[in-house]
Amino acid sequence: MIEIILLVSSILFIFALKLFGRPSTAHRANTFAMLAMALAVFSAFNFDFSKYDSAFYITIVVSGLLGVLISKRVQMTQMPELVGLFNGFGGGASGAIAYVELSGSSLPISVVFVAIFSMGIGMFTFSGSLVAVMKLRGKLNNFNKKLADIFSVFFPLILVIPAVLEMDELLMEFIILVALIAGVIRVAVIGGADMPVVIAFLNSLSGIAALSAGFIVNSIILIVAGALVGASGIILTLLMCAAMNRTLRDVLKGGFGGTAINNEYEKDPISTSPEDVAIQLSYAESVVIVPGYGMAVAQAQAAVKELTNTLKGKNIEVKFAIHPVAGRMPGHMNVLLAEVDIDYEDMYTLEDINSEFSSTDVVIVLGANDVVNPLARTDEDSPIYGMPILDVDLAKQVIVIKRSMSPGYAGIANPLFINDNAKMLFADAKEGLENIIKSFELV
Amino acid sequence: MEATFLLTLLITFLASFIGYELISKIPQTLHTPLMSGSNAISGITLIAAILIYPEVGDSQLLKIILLLAIAFATLNIVGGFSVTGRILEMFKKND
Repeated sequence: MIEIILLVSSILFIFALKLFGRPSTAHRANTFAMLAMALAVFSAFNFDFSKYDSAFYITIVVSGLLGVLISKRVQMTQMPELVGLFNGFGGGASGAIAYVELSGSSLPISVVFVAIFSMGIGMFTFSGSLVAVMKLRGKLNNFNKKLADIFSVFFPLILVIPAVLEMDELLMEFIILVALIAGVIRVAVIGGADMPVVIAFLNSLSGIAALSAGFIVNSIILIVAGALVGASGIILTLLMCAAMNRTLRDVLKGGFGGTAINNEYEKDPISTSPEDVAIQLSYAESVVIVPGYGMAVAQAQAAVKELTNTLKGKNIEVKFAIHPVAGRMPGHMNVLLAEVDIDYEDMYTLEDINSEFSSTDVVIVLGANDVVNPLARTDEDSPIYGMPILDVDLAKQVIVIKRSMSPGYAGIANPLFINDNAKMLFADAKEGLENIIKSFELV
Repeated sequence: MEATFLLTLLITFLASFIGYELISKIPQTLHTPLMSGSNAISGITLIAAILIYPEVGDSQLLKIILLLAIAFATLNIVGGFSVTGRILEMFKKND
């Protein structure tokens, strides 16, 4: 009986992933996955609920309620932090379970290695995710990269210490400590805009930790589900890396960005006003909006929706061009736009929209910078050279809504800003859009 | 579900492969709910905790650690699915 429940659960998990492939069926995917999870958890009890004490049930109920509460209250702009936090919880849980198994029962030697692996990965994911969350909240600046490098060099040596000291007793505690420190240091050196990669990578690790926990307790469903999560995290990690033309190794090495390398401009940009932008837009037939992290920071989504409605009301075509690494997690911009009821059919990926820019009348760059920097195409010495960018500079006119001329994450000047077809509207994303909308009423 | 180690490895490989194939087809628009959803699934490690909880013995420390793991995993599952549902609801109403 239990076997059949588990079989159904595994099949439901796989079907859930299949349904996830289209926005129109994805909400059903979530129901399938929830059902699969419920069956899997139920089967673990093996129809014997009396083996568990009240502490067990209280823990489940309280943390379940807490989970619901958190998920209802979180803002969509805080999704990267929430996913980061949950990654840490998943990893920490797997790590703790591995620790209990290693201390409690006598495991076969092959399983001992898997358990140590699970414990290490789980704890690394736990501490790394918590640091990632702090970075996303802006509570932590870039850690001194030198310290991290020193740590990396001595890391193999640290692992030899238990053997030298013949410490059997505290070996596991030692591994946990090292894994926790490694997680903190590894993530701490990575800059904020690389967080999409880090979050996806930690997501993958939390799946791998669960997978190896499956080996410890010999549970196929745990292995299947863990493998699915691991695969999903790895796919997203590689997509994010490809979208920045950097290797995972290079991203995890850290030290990229955060400081201005070169922010000199040959000439002053042309600055514009909300009124002029409104006039310009009202003569356009096609408009493409390029949102970036600045939109999320300024909470400008509602204003974006309002402007979209205004433009569509004038029969102007509006599309959204979303770079894969825009924002702080994969798909971040899409969710923010969906939240304000913007149709996902109007959201375009880089591949789909790049050929259209040359026939676009006006592009509005909203809080994005490096992902529209033409140097990625032309300047071999630039740190972003080779990165796929949105070719907005090919459009007829470009309006950049940005508070100042400060550089983006890569720390380099963006020649787009002084292009002949570009104008700067110096404002916070939300305020800038609201002023444009107000001006429309006067036009 | 008992299986030999090699068979288990085969299942691991097949599951990873199917996962890779299916997830590669998921559009960029859904990458955030994909992450929060797969996040919830990683809480399945709760099963391991449920399986070993009755056998943990008298050690209070191990029991507390296990309860902590149970709390983390449950939070992960319930919170993850709930927030994923919230996000996907936003995509649904466009249809």
